Amino acid sequence: MSEPASIEISGLSKTYRQTTTGQNVIAIERLDFTVAAGEIIAIVGQTGCGKSTFFDIMIGIDRPTEGSISISGKTPYGDFKSFRGRIATVFQQDRLLPWRTCLDNVKLPLELLRVPEREQRARSLEWLHRLGLEKFVNAYPHELSGGMRQRAAIARAFVLKPAILLADEAFGHLDEVTATELRETFVELARECGSTALLITHQLEEAIAVGDRILVFGRPAKLLADIRVLDWPMHEHARLRESIQATLQGRAFEMRVASA
Amino acid sequence: MLEPIGLQHRAAPLPPRVSREAVISLLALACLWEILSHFATSIGVPQLAIPSLAKIAESLTHITFIDLAVTLLRVLAALTVSFVLGIGLAVLFYHSKTADRYFTPVIRLLMAVPVISWILFAVLWFRSVEFRILFVLVVTCGPIFLVDMLDSMRGTSKELRDMMQSFRPSGWQFFFKLMLPASLPSIMTSLKINLSLAIRVVTIAELVGAVTGIGHQLAIAEELFSVADVFAWTLALVAALFLLEALLGRVETRVLRWRP
Repeated sequence: MSEPASIEISGLSKTYRQTTTGQNVIAIERLDFTVAAGEIIAIVGQTGCGKSTFFDIMIGIDRPTEGSISISGKTPYGDFKSFRGRIATVFQQDRLLPWRTCLDNVKLPLELLRVPEREQRARSLEWLHRLGLEKFVNAYPHELSGGMRQRAAIARAFVLKPAILLADEAFGHLDEVTATELRETFVELARECGSTALLITHQLEEAIAVGDRILVFGRPAKLLADIRVLDWPMHEHARLRESIQATLQGRAFEMRVASA
Repeated sequence: MLEPIGLQHRAAPLPPRVSREAVISLLALACLWEILSHFATSIGVPQLAIPSLAKIAESLTHITFIDLAVTLLRVLAALTVSFVLGIGLAVLFYHSKTADRYFTPVIRLLMAVPVISWILFAVLWFRSVEFRILFVLVVTCGPIFLVDMLDSMRGTSKELRDMMQSFRPSGWQFFFKLMLPASLPSIMTSLKINLSLAIRVVTIAELVGAVTGIGHQLAIAEELFSVADVFAWTLALVAALFLLEALLGRVETRVLRWRP
């Protein structure tokens, strides 16, 4: 298992050149925040606010125009290979390889790390079992339901016991019952693995249910609010939801606990 | 609850069946041929131009399997070389836009050259008969592998490529765990196209200078005005092609069994 990692983001900006118009488009505008090791952060923002660009930069498949992301002193883009086996991702779509069985999909990250075959199998089977897919180890993705495929994708991420866990709208396309169930499993497993998790979502309920903190992104991505969920008692969650909504819509709203 | 499909025994695919209509039409063609062979002289065609089925059958008994094997070995060798070169260049063009820009026009030009021109070039440029045949087959089949593989690699979804990159694979792992399996449907299609193309082209190439193989035997039959022998060798070649296509079909069913 990887050591828990902290994240430091300072002055992070990303500007794209639009191919059709040739104009520069700002996707991320000076993001600054830190995440402690083992913390679970939910990032909320409206559609097109640059959450996914931020996600790509976090994974290391895109580079920032300015500023930096530092994960335990290293940058995901510049020190790309040093994060092998330390970062795992769960995407909106399961992104399982259609030619691999459920088991082989979960084994994939371990194969890439050249973990011995017996250990690959044992660890993958364990995670498939934990996610309730033990009867479907030899099934191909097209033979599984959407929820099952997403479970396999979660197993593929957790099999690494990663230091950093990233989820981009991972439960957004599932029905409410499955999404709630998987969300709970995700948080439970992330806590158990001690992973530092960043979960991007556009659903406020999900953000409140999952995050230790909620970061509210404006459009383009800039930090509008950084909320510690634990500061808000359960009976205040409706007000919290309302205040995040107001922040997203640019309305003034007092971002503090009423009883505080 | 879904059945654990992946654990069920997958029924082996049934061998392709010859339809009743196909048998009837082939029998009708054979009968028409037999009738024509009996009335050839009365319609002003020399008897030897339309040999009877009995004569063709007799010629079939004189087929030398060494020539059939030599031709098929040449096809197999050429397909192997074409495959390796085609895939290798496709990977190069995929990674290097410069190489793609410089060499793709040349490849397109080569693909437009008629086979007969390649045969003449081969005779003029090379002394070794085997090399001439290999050259003609490779310049004919190689570009098909290249173009299909390149299209397929470029068509591999960005989602899957990003997912794979997030696990930080090596270049080899990225190719062998993602690009190659994702391109298998295209590769199988190119193989089927190239198999039938190579079998037709090899015969023409063997006509020029080869001392073994079906093309050489056809040249001898032509010199002896033995139309029955020409038919016998052609039938043997067509039968070999059908057999290889059936074999390839089985391989395709096996390697693409993950498709819904």
